[in-house]
Amino acid sequence: MSAPVLDRAQVPPRGALRPFHFPRVHRRRLANGLDILVCETRQFPVVTADLMLDAGGLAEPADRAGVAAMTSALLESGAGTMDAEAIAERVDSLGLSLDSGVSWDTGQTGFTCLRARLEPGFELLADLVRRPAFPASEAERVRDERLSTIQQRRGTPSSVVDEAHSRWIFAPGTAFARPLGGMIRTVRAVDRDEIAAFHAARYRASGATLVAAGDVSVDEVVALAERWFGDWAGEGEPAPAAVVKPRLGETTIVVVDRPGAVQSEIRIGHVGIERTAPDYAAVTVMNAILGGTFSSRLNLNLRERLGYTYGVSSSFASRRQEGTFSMSTAVQTEVTAHSVSEMLRDMREIREAPVSGAELDDARNFLAGVFPLGLQTTDGVAGKLTSIASYGLPDDYYDHYRDQLLAVTAADVQDAAQRRLWPDRAAVVIAGDAEKIRSELEALNLGPVVIADPEEFEAI
Amino acid sequence: MQIPIERYELDNGLKVILSEDHTTPVVALNIWYNVGSRNERPGRTGLAHLFEHMMFQGTSHVPENGHIAHVERAGGNLNASTWLDRTNYYDTVPSDRLELVLWLESDRLGYFVPALTQEKLDNQRDVVKNERRQRVDNQPYGDWDERLQLMLYPPDHPYHHSVIGSMEDLDATSLDDVRDFFQTYYAPNNGVLTLCGDFDPAEARRLIEKWFGPIPRGPAIPPVPGQPVLDPVKIGREIRETRGGIPLPRVYLAWRIPVYGTQEYYVADVVSELLAGGKSARLYRELVRARRVARSVSAFVLPVVTGASALIVRGNAADGDDPAVVEKAMRDEVARLAEGGVDAAEVERAVTGLEARHLFDLQKVNERADQISQLTTYFDDPGLINTELDRYRAVTPDDVRRFAGEYLRDDNLVVLTYLPGAEVAS
Repeated sequence: MSAPVLDRAQVPPRGALRPFHFPRVHRRRLANGLDILVCETRQFPVVTADLMLDAGGLAEPADRAGVAAMTSALLESGAGTMDAEAIAERVDSLGLSLDSGVSWDTGQTGFTCLRARLEPGFELLADLVRRPAFPASEAERVRDERLSTIQQRRGTPSSVVDEAHSRWIFAPGTAFARPLGGMIRTVRAVDRDEIAAFHAARYRASGATLVAAGDVSVDEVVALAERWFGDWAGEGEPAPAAVVKPRLGETTIVVVDRPGAVQSEIRIGHVGIERTAPDYAAVTVMNAILGGTFSSRLNLNLRERLGYTYGVSSSFASRRQEGTFSMSTAVQTEVTAHSVSEMLRDMREIREAPVSGAELDDARNFLAGVFPLGLQTTDGVAGKLTSIASYGLPDDYYDHYRDQLLAVTAADVQDAAQRRLWPDRAAVVIAGDAEKIRSELEALNLGPVVIADPEEFEAI
Repeated sequence: MQIPIERYELDNGLKVILSEDHTTPVVALNIWYNVGSRNERPGRTGLAHLFEHMMFQGTSHVPENGHIAHVERAGGNLNASTWLDRTNYYDTVPSDRLELVLWLESDRLGYFVPALTQEKLDNQRDVVKNERRQRVDNQPYGDWDERLQLMLYPPDHPYHHSVIGSMEDLDATSLDDVRDFFQTYYAPNNGVLTLCGDFDPAEARRLIEKWFGPIPRGPAIPPVPGQPVLDPVKIGREIRETRGGIPLPRVYLAWRIPVYGTQEYYVADVVSELLAGGKSARLYRELVRARRVARSVSAFVLPVVTGASALIVRGNAADGDDPAVVEKAMRDEVARLAEGGVDAAEVERAVTGLEARHLFDLQKVNERADQISQLTTYFDDPGLINTELDRYRAVTPDDVRRFAGEYLRDDNLVVLTYLPGAEVAS
């Protein structure tokens, strides 16, 4: 190799960086109470429009868990003058990417389209949201598909462990202990009339927000909203808040038995934070250091040092109310117990000692730097508008988001870790071969070791 | 919408494509090496992918895991992937850190070998074996592509084995294998470098020359081992396998078809869209919505270029269903393409869907860079990113009927059935 004059051992200097600003958020409201949030981003002839509704998982009765998701799924099964097939042909002819779904807090229906198809897209959206037919035979089909999805999930290690984890994080009988989307018994109990009733009660202008981002002006969006949603009525009570209550008073190990499994899927966690928590930025930086990046403590330990796993990560899933904290990995069966003790050790250490200046800088810079990457697409920007609407964040929240992250100190991180990580009352849930891993888990002396009761997956 | 393309080549043979876009102050670097699992020798399956992991383990100037740490602390993200024909590495960073990623990517092309150690190899071998456990062995249906490849391609074809490789071969891989693989395939003359995003082209050219220019051209790349040519493309018979160890029944059908780049391939992609692209597509409409013999369906083609590609159709059935019913229904629907043909509106709808999704995807600089590298690696034609849709628009109902009659036949078919309770073959 020719000897370069280049000094390759020196990290190259930074170049010039142009500033990044979150696009301006325009807010309007129609006379019927429908809120509108718009960002104009003009680089591609693409628009995303989403209607956010007060029709999420918390709006459904416990013994009919799943009705919110089924309602959302059935909107395209017949609406206005069109049956399911006519709607499908319309959507595909327009090249719409139609997206409907529910979270615990909201229901959401919308689409991404080429700019030229925005008007027919709105026309269709208004039919789906305002005039769905809910044919009984389509309701049966969607119900059967959801039952298959639940069965599939229960037979898949990486999914069944998540379902069990929620069961052990939140107190029995509370909403967040159940899977969003329901259980077999509750989904079976939902019929066409209950879906129509849920729609009548929850799909309404009051409490709804229309968000739009892309190659469109705020005036165009308002005109389209007036035309297709201006005479949409409806008032009602907001969906009830959840009762959030932890299940465990001490760290408990729960095994979902998978005889013969060559790996153990591990989840360790507990109740997390609400999206509007005052220490949200500190928690985000703390989590990045613990398990939110490739170079995080957990991943460098379990993957790069020990070679136990393809990857390990941690995350806070925040909602309007406290969501979950979860560390997540899959390790080869023989090292299950050691992996659990290492993960809990990483969790304790970040509480006990302040993070180093380098770790702090790296995490803050990572989070601030990657933020714009998610905003290159119209649906990425629309997602942020939905967050503003759903969590009641200030309209200029994302203008200052990066500054908030960069202002977090080592003391903030340790404070967040001490308040938000609970190594002594964590739910350690493992889908794996109980016979092979149980005695070593007991030998860890972390707390009780129990085998999950399959019946409990169906508890209301 | 026109994606700008500026193409040139360094003296050492590295192909470079620059595509400016100053919308967001970020830049995507994407580098494709024209080597994948197809280049592996018997007994060393999984080497190309294990090698990709080793590329993150440091160089003469960058410590172990330093590449990742540098990019993450710069506020960027990165990854790499290995597939049948190629291996790609990519970093997306704030645009002031362009030189950082040029340094890192060039350093592992120029100074990889001196930093290799047995300890690093042993560690990444464990990581990759756990990747296989997580994605294949402990994942219901996780071996579907491995099983289809075994049946679709003959034992001497380079696609006969999976990208992840066997545990046995991973165990057998030595430090010498890793070094040889690098010295054989990782050279500027076997790579394509694309930059997409917020940079000044003259400055980018200067920096690329600075970091990649001094790396010498490597020896000529040896031909793909085994028998990469498939003549005829069609299999000539029906091949079947049934597997178990899963929750609900599932059936895969796969037909061998011409490779990516041929007009038949574009027809096949339109066919996959006609069959299961949206909810107005034939398989969804008939099997899921009308007859309810399947809970969900999908269809896709493999964008591969060595010998033959495949059109793959998948149907999920319900608990207790006989998978033979969903298999027959899928086969009948596919047979109807040749027998009854399709109408122009249906083809139009399929192309509309492909077109819209193409544009949605291209909003991201990293996605654009990846597609440009792909088109340059396979066809030496980065401008196809702007013109490839014309190939789709040219597809007629007659093309679809002819293609289905020629390739989607029972004597060119692989059927893979998953049945709960069936023994897991080992």
